[in-house]
Amino acid sequence: MNWRTTMLLACWMPWAAQGLATEASAHPDPVPSVMWDFYHKQLLGQAAFVFDDRVKLLAPPFAEDARQAPLEIDARAFTGEVVRIIAWAELNPLPRIVDFEPGERVLPWLSVRIRIEQATPLRAAVLTRDGLWHVGSTLIDAAGGGCTAPSVVRSQPGWEEHLGEVLGGRYPRGDTSRLRLQVAHPMDNGLVSGIPEFFLNHAELQDADGQRLASLELYPAVSENPNLGFDIQGPGLTRLVLQDNSGNRFEATVR
Amino acid sequence: MRWTLLLLLCLGLPAWADLDYRLTPRQIAQGTWLLEGSTDNFAKGNGGNVVNTAFIVTDCGVVVIDSGPSKRYGEALRQAIAAITDKPVVELLLTHHHPDHVLGNQAFADVPIGALAGTGELLRQQGDAMAENMYRLVGDWMRGTEVVLPTRVLEPGVHEVGGHRLRLLALGGHTGADLAIFDEQTGVLFAGDLVFHERALTTPNSPGLEVWLKDLDTLQALPWKVVVPGHGPVASDARPFAQMRDYLGWLDGLMLEGAARGDDMVEMIRSPIPERFAGISLSRYELIRSVSHLYPRYERQRLQRVDGGRVGL
Repeated sequence: MNWRTTMLLACWMPWAAQGLATEASAHPDPVPSVMWDFYHKQLLGQAAFVFDDRVKLLAPPFAEDARQAPLEIDARAFTGEVVRIIAWAELNPLPRIVDFEPGERVLPWLSVRIRIEQATPLRAAVLTRDGLWHVGSTLIDAAGGGCTAPSVVRSQPGWEEHLGEVLGGRYPRGDTSRLRLQVAHPMDNGLVSGIPEFFLNHAELQDADGQRLASLELYPAVSENPNLGFDIQGPGLTRLVLQDNSGNRFEATVR
Repeated sequence: MRWTLLLLLCLGLPAWADLDYRLTPRQIAQGTWLLEGSTDNFAKGNGGNVVNTAFIVTDCGVVVIDSGPSKRYGEALRQAIAAITDKPVVELLLTHHHPDHVLGNQAFADVPIGALAGTGELLRQQGDAMAENMYRLVGDWMRGTEVVLPTRVLEPGVHEVGGHRLRLLALGGHTGADLAIFDEQTGVLFAGDLVFHERALTTPNSPGLEVWLKDLDTLQALPWKVVVPGHGPVASDARPFAQMRDYLGWLDGLMLEGAARGDDMVEMIRSPIPERFAGISLSRYELIRSVSHLYPRYERQRLQRVDGGRVGL
């Protein structure tokens, strides 16, 4: 390489770097994160993505109860296009929350309550039919300890008798109806001493004929006695089928 | 070495100098003094002085009502009392177990500390966690603060001290164990946190808003002349009661309606706050907290058992 080429290269490099930076800042990460690259690789397999504020990930600014922090994932801006939604809490010891496939008749909207171990960025990555992940983000502050606090369910004598009991309700809202479900389950995450993992890991919504409407994988960042909300289009009853990692199966029907 | 010391002094002195509560008692009735905190949230700038404490100078000594948010506050309160009267402190009464009212107890370890039985129990269960959270929120002001449990169980009824007949009421709308103190001599009602005034009420241990509303009826029916809220300005008219009823009624109605619509918590905390509460400090912040504390009960009332039992166990 002669000196002229070297000089040219030296002049070009700052420009090139600036070009790259501009490309990234078109959709900058909206939250301060030290973990994004890791999760991009780990959970999204380094697939194409964009930080996208049309995916609304809504949570209170702070977790008043770090064992039951409410979370709302709203990807209705992409209704009809959504294949899959993955959510996680970046700084949780067990970060994954849900893996949701809403299907045709369930809106890409979900409410759930989660455990927060410390103040953390939260993410919901929405895969659309074109193969692009749209990532919604928010921050939640917390006094913390939600993942390692002793179980409230297990402190209640006779809790085993209520395992898998489902409370539910349907609330009509125009063309859709809101489905609210609360399942009695300790959702043990294995981080509380002497109690191994024991949690609901799969939920499925079905129509009256047993056809699948939506499926939801749950992870133990979901709070005990999981509280779930869905918005469903069209009439008819909805069946809920649940399974935990010990092979227990529970069913419920919301009319 | 000398320079290092000088440098350390320069760095350290301003930090120390700032941590002064500057408590100035204000007389609100004969022999009755108030230390009024701000209506802000706990912050490193205020050391947690967001609370009202008080003392009554009686013939046989000083009765103190609540000890404040930290050891440092408790000590400052003792100094403030000593600047007003030569009489000794004879007892400390705690209105309830929340950290801003009891973490100054260390400064009163030499006198009986009275509280309702339920208050002692709640403080035993939750005190350490609450103190830890206070360290997180206000920082160095808390240095050396530890939980000191009450040493005397108070029963409801008349409590006579140095010529003052103090009527003790065992109520519970705010925490399940709330002491209100009515001084029959002066007509001052120390309502504790059953009454917030121009500051949004807090609900972390509330057994339910209906209990709270009943307590307000009980308190308002007393022949009081001055009401001292746990937070916010004192009043000699019924405004704090009217504001409390209005606010509690709004909160209750909001959550009833939300549960009937099937709203989730995150939707609830976005609810608009009525214009008439614009002057109430921290209403959005406390709505977020109250939804977390209370909304699950409202939800459950609107849900039914829908499971068909376990299959394939």
